[in-house]
Amino acid sequence: MQADWQIPRISLLWLLVSMVVVIGLHVEHLPIWLLSAALLAVVWQIQNYRGAWGQPGKHLKVLLTGLCFGGVLSSYSTMLGLDPMVALLVSGFVLKLLEINHRRDALVIVYLAYFVAIVQCLFEQTMMTALPVFIAIMIVTAALVGLHQSNQDRRAGNRKYWFRPLQTSVVLVIQALPLMLVLFIVMPRIGALWSVPRHQDSGITGVSDSMSPGDFSNLSASREVAFRVEFEGDIPPQPSLYWRGLVFSEFDGRRWTQSGPWGYRDKNLLQWHGDQPAEWDSQVSRHGQPLAYTVMLEPTNSPWLFALPTARPDSSGVALTRDFRLYNKLPVNSEKQYRVRSWLDYDLESAGLTPLRRRLELALPDGFNPETRRVAKRWRAENPDPVALINRLLKQYNSEFIYTLKPPLLGKHTVDEFLWGTKRGFCEFFASSFVFFMRAAGIPARVVVGYQGGERHPNGDYLLVHQYDAHAWAEVWLKGRGWLRVDPTAAVAPERVEMSFTDLFGKNKDFLSDSLLSLERYQHISWLNKLRLNLDALDYAWTKWVLGYDHVQTDLLMRLLGRIDPMRIGMLLVIAGAIALAPMAIMLFRAREKHYRDELDQQYVRFCLRMERAGLARLSGEGPRDYAKRIVSMRPELQGDVTAITDLYEAQRYKNEQFNAGLLRQKMRRFYPGLRRKVRL
Amino acid sequence: MSKTWRAWFKQRYHQWVNRRLPAARKIRLNNNRLFIFPTRAGFLFGLVLLLLWLVATNFENNLVFGATFLLSAMFVVAIFHTFLNLSGLLIEAGHSHPCFCGGAAEFGILLSQKGHRYRDNILLRYPKSDQKTVSLPGTELAAVSLAVTADKRGWFEPGRVTLETRYPLGLIRCWTYLDLNMRELVYPRPINARGQPISVASGQGTNEIAGGREDFRSLEKHRPGEPHSHIAWKHYAREQGLHTKHFADPMDEEVWLDWEAFQGMDEEARLSRLCGWLLELSAGTALYGLRMPGVEILPSRGEIHRVSILRELALFNLPDQVQS
Repeated sequence: MQADWQIPRISLLWLLVSMVVVIGLHVEHLPIWLLSAALLAVVWQIQNYRGAWGQPGKHLKVLLTGLCFGGVLSSYSTMLGLDPMVALLVSGFVLKLLEINHRRDALVIVYLAYFVAIVQCLFEQTMMTALPVFIAIMIVTAALVGLHQSNQDRRAGNRKYWFRPLQTSVVLVIQALPLMLVLFIVMPRIGALWSVPRHQDSGITGVSDSMSPGDFSNLSASREVAFRVEFEGDIPPQPSLYWRGLVFSEFDGRRWTQSGPWGYRDKNLLQWHGDQPAEWDSQVSRHGQPLAYTVMLEPTNSPWLFALPTARPDSSGVALTRDFRLYNKLPVNSEKQYRVRSWLDYDLESAGLTPLRRRLELALPDGFNPETRRVAKRWRAENPDPVALINRLLKQYNSEFIYTLKPPLLGKHTVDEFLWGTKRGFCEFFASSFVFFMRAAGIPARVVVGYQGGERHPNGDYLLVHQYDAHAWAEVWLKGRGWLRVDPTAAVAPERVEMSFTDLFGKNKDFLSDSLLSLERYQHISWLNKLRLNLDALDYAWTKWVLGYDHVQTDLLMRLLGRIDPMRIGMLLVIAGAIALAPMAIMLFRAREKHYRDELDQQYVRFCLRMERAGLARLSGEGPRDYAKRIVSMRPELQGDVTAITDLYEAQRYKNEQFNAGLLRQKMRRFYPGLRRKVRL
Repeated sequence: MSKTWRAWFKQRYHQWVNRRLPAARKIRLNNNRLFIFPTRAGFLFGLVLLLLWLVATNFENNLVFGATFLLSAMFVVAIFHTFLNLSGLLIEAGHSHPCFCGGAAEFGILLSQKGHRYRDNILLRYPKSDQKTVSLPGTELAAVSLAVTADKRGWFEPGRVTLETRYPLGLIRCWTYLDLNMRELVYPRPINARGQPISVASGQGTNEIAGGREDFRSLEKHRPGEPHSHIAWKHYAREQGLHTKHFADPMDEEVWLDWEAFQGMDEEARLSRLCGWLLELSAGTALYGLRMPGVEILPSRGEIHRVSILRELALFNLPDQVQS
């Protein structure tokens, strides 16, 4: 009885393997000391297993527990949050490893290992992280199987014995997959019950919530996907793909930031999807047919969403802000899908701005860029028509400025130095200087940041927007026409807008210099480019159907069930679950009934069955030869064939030769047709 | 009050089990005869699943959902595996061995299957036996023998044997209680009654069994093959030729194991002493017989004789037990 509660060695082996694998998954976000402690625990257990070292004493264990807690506290300075939670779980795991004496301890480790392995998915959700987690689950399951595998068939050096748990576990996991799929598809997601700490340092690259010219040079070079867009109709041409993200109205001489919600007299500054249209919704007039599309946004850790102007959200939890951008309820920490309708033809606040708002959109910091202010005033006097003024400035850009990703550094008066000195820069420089100039000339203007363009996927029918598509442009407010988009960058480098960014900079060696391995670098090699796009199609499918499945689920279930209620979901779960389990169940039950016979025996049994139908059943325990003799004695007319068949069977069965069942089959095929006639005689 | 309720419940339960699983020497396990339920580890696993589901829901993370569902599906698949680890097995009563009261009777059980399913870690136990593990790693037959403690003489029925398995994940327990219609004799507890009188009926010393090793009988000419230890070396040294000493065992005793020899004792005490003497005698050379009220077995020797006397002792005065 006692021995039964001890842990089999095979289980211990797999426990150690799974522990190494599971901790390996978290290597990136665990402190070094914890990794060393884990290694030590594994070594200790191996030594203990070999009988070299004893179990650690009670005092040592208490000391280690204290050290681990203290370590986690000092490493993270808090116990809340995802990282310290995982660190705590792993330390519990490590400590438990020091005292596995009973099956119960092993069970705790196995359950902890499942948990720690799966929690890895909270940090990263790519396909490449899901696969190791999947494998880790298999290995942990092997440890669980090892715990319940009997020791009886263990033979020294039997490799099969050591790998049996893994084999069983792989079979179990594979058989579980169909049911898992059904559960994944059908089980309703009810949304977060309470707010939870999130992983902080993932997905920081993206459009930031402030802009001081110079920031974007790093961002531009990032090859990561910002978001993907699936249009319900055709993809509009590149020049109209301005993905509006944030609006910067405040400038402190160096940095552009969002202004607060001051200046608006409205009660609600957010209009959620499904709400009644707010009063200010009438400030925008939308013309023509909307463009419907779904955006799959990679995590940004901020609540800003991107859409073509002027947009209206079509997904719950997404709001339209007073300045007509999209806003997510929570910071986007994992892949986010939202549907949007956009009217590319629109008038925005053409009726007029409130005085406070107008003042804000004209505000300039004192003591900066005196030259620009002076010139702007002069130009305004020379060109009372704002459109003419805008065109004059754009013409200036076009004739004298150079678009480059490596502009010279600027001093205190960034706009002055850029406009009248260096004349080299990228979108931020142009947008910033343009808006400054317009405001100085008395025209309300603001900076808009987001993305421009995108790469059309050849077979996925979707648009791929990369981080290097990040862009900044301007909006000016003209009386009677409202906010108009002006892209000064397009004036200096129209290719930047009409072509995609890689087309433009693909040949430039400096562009994407940070990632030698990046597949974008080698777009000119066609098969590599194809590979890159295929990989992205896979990633797109993963994002859409796995990570963002909640958004597809409602639609899918609606289409399947007509109506979503617990009854119908339960029914679907039962039926689909049964179907998913059927192949496995049939396989398992059939394997039980299967009685192994080689082909020769099969043939002979068939012969016996034929004779039985003819009224000459073989008795139990009767050998082939006796049987043949008896048949012949009862039916002498069958002698030739029966003797031949029996002899052939015996010869092949018992002579030490490679048998050839085909011979027997042939003989019998010639025998049967005449059998019935002969037997009847 | 609660005791009577418990007794009533227990009785009903036994009735139900007897109806559902009638006794037989040979039982094939199928879904009518197997019970299945999650173990404590299984419920704990459920708790882990719930926790994972909460994590998935709160973090709105579909990968965690996927993993949670994978583990749940594995739980369901494990039900099939655990069930099929027992289902389809043919359980047969095997050989059993009697014992003395207070010892353990051995009951053999055969497990066999058609085909080559890998069945592992099947536990067997009787209410009063230790637990044995058996597995059929693709083989067709396995045998196990369980030692069941017996504390009353007579026919002993070990009760229902529990067959149980938790393979492969330990989350689910599949079990059954089988009555294999086995019974075995339990002999009285032997008490060594040295010094107690036993009745000696005749002592003429006329009977002998040749080829013994007790008393010298004759000296004969040596034939090859006879044990060297019996060669009369003294005669050989006197150059009288090679001779072999021949011995014979005296068969002069005919001992009666007599009920009346143990006056003033109760029935069990007498049986225990008779049993003790029987063991003593069967190791010796005497012929022995048994004389009890209503029973008389003439003196003789040998295993069959010994067993028939043990049987009489075991079953003496037990009216409710069929003497078969």
